[in-house]
Amino acid sequence: MAESFEPKIVSFLCNWCSYAGADLAGTSRIEYPQNIRIIRVPCSGRVDPLFVLKAFIDGADGVMVLGCHPGDCHYQQGNYYAQRRYSVMQKLLDFIGVESDRLLIDWVSASEGKRFAEVVSNFTYRIKEIGHLTIKQDARKIDTNLEKVTA
Amino acid sequence: MNQDKPRIGVYVCMCGSNIAGTVDVPAVVEAVSHLKNVVVTRYNKYTCSGPGQLGIREDIQAQNLNRVVVSACSPRMHERTWRAMLAEAGLNPYLLEVANLREHCSWIHPKEELTTQKAIDLVTAAVERVALHNPLFPQRVPVTKAALVVGGGIAGIQASLDLANAGVPVYLVEKEPSIGGHMAQLDKTFPTLDCSACILTPKMVDVGSHKNITLLSSSEIDKVDGFIGNFNVTVRKKARYVSLDKCTACNDCVAVCPVKIPSEFESGMADRTAIYRPFAQAIPNAFAIEKRGSAPCKSACPAGIHVQGYVALIGEGRFREAYDLIEERMPFPGICGRICHHPCETNCRRGEKDSPIAIEYLKRFAADWVMAHPESEPVRTRKQGVLLKGKKVAIIGSGPAGLTVAKNLSEESAQCDIFEALPVPGGMMNVGIPSHRLPKPILNKEINDIVSRENITLHLNSPIQLNSMPSRTGLTVQELRKKYDAVFLGIGTHKVIKLNIPGEDLKGVHHGTEFLRKVNINHLGVDETKIPKLGKHIAVVGGGNVAIDSAMTALRISGAEVFVIYRRTRAEMPAFEWEVAEAEEEGIQFLFLTNPIEIKGEDGKVTAVELQRMRLGEPDASGRRRPVPIKGDTFTLPIDTMIISVGQVLDDVNEEVVKNDLGWIKTDEITRQTNLPDVFAGGDAAIGPSSIVEVVGEGHIAAESIKRYLLGDDLYAGRGNSAQESKPEFYDPATWDRTPRHKNPARDPQSRIDFNEIYLGFNEEQAIAEANRCLDCGVCSECMACVDACGAGAISHQMVDEFEKIDVGAIVVASGYDVWNPSSMIEYGYGVYPEVYTGMEIERLSNASGPTEGSIVMRNGEAPKRVAILHCVGSRDEHHQPYCSRICCMYSMKLAHLIREKTKAEVFEFYMDIRSFGKGYEEFYERVQHEGIVFVRGRGAQVLPESEHLVVRAEDTDLGKPVKIPVDMVILATGVVPQKDAEKLAHTLHVTRDVNGFFLEAHPKLRPVDSNTDGIYLAGTCQAPRDIPDTVTHASAAASQALGLLSQDYVEVVPTIAEVNELDCVGCNLCVEVCPYGAPSLVMKRGRLVSEINEALCKGCGLCVAACRGKAITLRGFNDTQLLTQLETLLQFSMN
Repeated sequence: MAESFEPKIVSFLCNWCSYAGADLAGTSRIEYPQNIRIIRVPCSGRVDPLFVLKAFIDGADGVMVLGCHPGDCHYQQGNYYAQRRYSVMQKLLDFIGVESDRLLIDWVSASEGKRFAEVVSNFTYRIKEIGHLTIKQDARKIDTNLEKVTA
Repeated sequence: MNQDKPRIGVYVCMCGSNIAGTVDVPAVVEAVSHLKNVVVTRYNKYTCSGPGQLGIREDIQAQNLNRVVVSACSPRMHERTWRAMLAEAGLNPYLLEVANLREHCSWIHPKEELTTQKAIDLVTAAVERVALHNPLFPQRVPVTKAALVVGGGIAGIQASLDLANAGVPVYLVEKEPSIGGHMAQLDKTFPTLDCSACILTPKMVDVGSHKNITLLSSSEIDKVDGFIGNFNVTVRKKARYVSLDKCTACNDCVAVCPVKIPSEFESGMADRTAIYRPFAQAIPNAFAIEKRGSAPCKSACPAGIHVQGYVALIGEGRFREAYDLIEERMPFPGICGRICHHPCETNCRRGEKDSPIAIEYLKRFAADWVMAHPESEPVRTRKQGVLLKGKKVAIIGSGPAGLTVAKNLSEESAQCDIFEALPVPGGMMNVGIPSHRLPKPILNKEINDIVSRENITLHLNSPIQLNSMPSRTGLTVQELRKKYDAVFLGIGTHKVIKLNIPGEDLKGVHHGTEFLRKVNINHLGVDETKIPKLGKHIAVVGGGNVAIDSAMTALRISGAEVFVIYRRTRAEMPAFEWEVAEAEEEGIQFLFLTNPIEIKGEDGKVTAVELQRMRLGEPDASGRRRPVPIKGDTFTLPIDTMIISVGQVLDDVNEEVVKNDLGWIKTDEITRQTNLPDVFAGGDAAIGPSSIVEVVGEGHIAAESIKRYLLGDDLYAGRGNSAQESKPEFYDPATWDRTPRHKNPARDPQSRIDFNEIYLGFNEEQAIAEANRCLDCGVCSECMACVDACGAGAISHQMVDEFEKIDVGAIVVASGYDVWNPSSMIEYGYGVYPEVYTGMEIERLSNASGPTEGSIVMRNGEAPKRVAILHCVGSRDEHHQPYCSRICCMYSMKLAHLIREKTKAEVFEFYMDIRSFGKGYEEFYERVQHEGIVFVRGRGAQVLPESEHLVVRAEDTDLGKPVKIPVDMVILATGVVPQKDAEKLAHTLHVTRDVNGFFLEAHPKLRPVDSNTDGIYLAGTCQAPRDIPDTVTHASAAASQALGLLSQDYVEVVPTIAEVNELDCVGCNLCVEVCPYGAPSLVMKRGRLVSEINEALCKGCGLCVAACRGKAITLRGFNDTQLLTQLETLLQFSMN
């Protein structure tokens, strides 16, 4: 099962640093796995924890939020809020039984094309190791069982 | 909100083969043509081209499209282009979505099914999202027609002139006292061998005199707020301490400044004074004083003596000046220089490396010198003030506190009457400290210098009635208050503390300070006081300085066996350890952890003392471990004399003057005023037994307070805060002189048991050498010699930093570079071998205005016969800078040429590749080869010392063999690195930096002068290494971009900003707290407090949107619905 498992990874990249870093990876033709889908936001601070939850519910096996390095945020402090939010979120995920490694908060600057590719590759391999997120299917099973019982 | 049904046009670009090479573009088009709301789908070879764009515009018209998806390169590339295209076709430019199929797909994945599938997903998500876009209308803000240029090197100068000549008011902010930057340091420039200063200085003068340029030198950027077209900048104008208007650049101040530090402009090849002008052609052509806060020695001195100042003056042989400077804050230099506990030395930064400067002994030296040269005139004369003329002050006690108060007040012509109870003046200085430590002639001189002043009258043998006992003179404090305008209580703590053990009243038992007082008064010979008779076996009880003084005095009087009994261990003794050591050297024995419990006697005379052995227990209130008796462990010591020195307290003072919890006179912390407004107290009486320097400090405080009180001024204004202590970096540890601390010559312990001084003091040579060990921590030592020397009265040490706020529309950053320091490359021996240099150091030697007036001489004074220049030092190196620094090959060749021309030396250049890319550069390379300069193709591997010279080891790759070439001088061609404060400046200006720390351009090819922040441009080497022609070009380019912005009347700000739905807002204030720009604020609307966004301030980051718990704020163009839809659509893909 683990052999053929290809995770679905979604990533929120900020327009000024990490998205530009991803662009640079592209310009430099550095390859990385195809499992990732990117959503552009103005700032990592824009990313609502709701999006992360929705991503997992919609079938993502891993979510990355990548912002500017501390001190370099184009909007001063958005990345600090992102850091705070997602550190707490990782603990919440642990609490509900989702491995906190499935959520990555990290920094990639606009000149770090190579690093972007590395971060994506490492994250993809890690999610492959952890495996498919089954919370949706598990929740469905409970629903179906419940239906059977209450029917 | 646009309620029309979406009619979407989807365009997929092949981008030549950039996308089509890996993505099956027709398949993508086919897949998306079936999506809901999609009206037309096409693919193009080059969508961004004229025909491509035209095709889309025609579709918009013909098919009545109201949404467009372009699937091509990164939106960071062409989003602007497509938006303009929509506008031209009559559509709102924000009804566009771009799918990134190139940078995020075709360029990074192999040509296969999965890649095409990913492309389809990305386009599908874009289609879903674009349906949710609404038209947006950017706000227009006016542009402030002014520019800020940060940095006054050649780039900043060029940009400023370009902007100013175009009619734009320019603020040029430069952190050094002069503009010119590194170019001013160079000798001749490649390839034309133009003299650098000759081509630079005319431009500098233009800047200085241009009507549109406001030059703010010695200034830095403190804060930048605002946005493109509307920047609000706060500039910190650092205190120069010299008035630009008055300074005539005459150089008189330099002649008297005693501080010499390595000159940065001379790359450390020469020194400069603390007051300096960077170079002769400086603009502004004026001097500046470098001050680095308060030197650690001065900060530590409670009396505020200008420590660094007098040390510097002694170092220059200016002994009388040093004495005058000391005496301004310390009226007793010879006394202090013998008995001080020198907190200055404890704080001395040199002490972190080897030993602190022997500051105390230097002070003594200066005082002794003046005593030995009574004919010397004061160099610094203080004008007599008259502020307190007619005022009368009573000073009770002629100790150091009282005398300091008297001196200070008399300098303002107050009449000071000093009432001293004892027959001799000077307090504890005179009666507490024995002559072997502090000779009487010095005491007499220094006390007399004060009491002989015109406005001071000393009354000896005149105690004041302080308590309710009948007194001898009949004057009480109350009576004094009626006769005088103010009263100062400097009564000290002369009352001894008793042990309160049996036998303390026996004959032969003395108490420390009473004993010393009698001895000292006897030595002064003023009356019949006799030295107490002592026996042959003396025990001194106590652990403080008084105990040690008593023991050593007793030894000198009786020559007997002396014990010092102390109840804790040596480590806890409060006495100065050097005094304890002196006592031990003389044979005095110490009994530690021993406490007397009973003094035994016969016929009323002491015969023995019963001693209790102690051990250390828990710490007490003072933090020291409390001594605890060891039960039963006692012994008896036969003695015939005991001197008890366990502390002093205040004499009984009338209840009118309130005491504090510790038993001292209660005074205000800052002013030393007592509960009675016209009565002040200071010294031991107010703070407990203290050292002379603390007490003199007290005197200064009290005198200042009394002066203000008498004038009716506020006692507190401007007091209570201390200057920032400087903690500077050491100057190059490789080159500072490692002379160890000089020892104060002392007499041999066996032959010094008399009342002559133990220590002999420095001679002139020793004093000067010791003073020159000082590292000049505060740089300017505040000796004030320059103030006296300046004929134009241009110097004021009271200047402070000022802040100026300026409004500009554009900012050009031209902050320049630093030369890399190759000390970390130990294989080259920079900083270790004297004849290894950097290129910039040689520039200064070669420069006619440099330290050698243009001759190339080595540190040993000779001209080199053979020189090696090593290229790529620290550059093209994964351990240091990976990049090529661009200019080093050329400057190495230039230096080679200059050296050969001036000295005829042989020159070898060790290179990897020659980068001679510019106009005339290759020709210059040819030329220097013809001049006989030898090029060895192999990177210099190591520099080694060999007998009298150096050897360079390298591999000659042309020969394929290693070579060893002996040379006299090695020049390391080090590269260019970003300035040390680049990170801080980047954060202040909100610009980003690249991996090497240089400021990051918006696009390396198409936007080399734009930073990532709109309205901020980059000029010169702060962005990347470059030579002078390229720097000037880059700077002019940046200026032209700035002019493009400034020539518009208004600029459009990004419309993807936040918007509050007031119905959902509960006014929780969270959005206000998180926003870095202050855009949201709470306002009253229809009776409720809700958030409102200031559209001009909002930058559209979305932080408040994510923070809002009630989801009351949306971000236009990036709202939750759009992002969640995009998310959901993207996750529909399957990887199988």
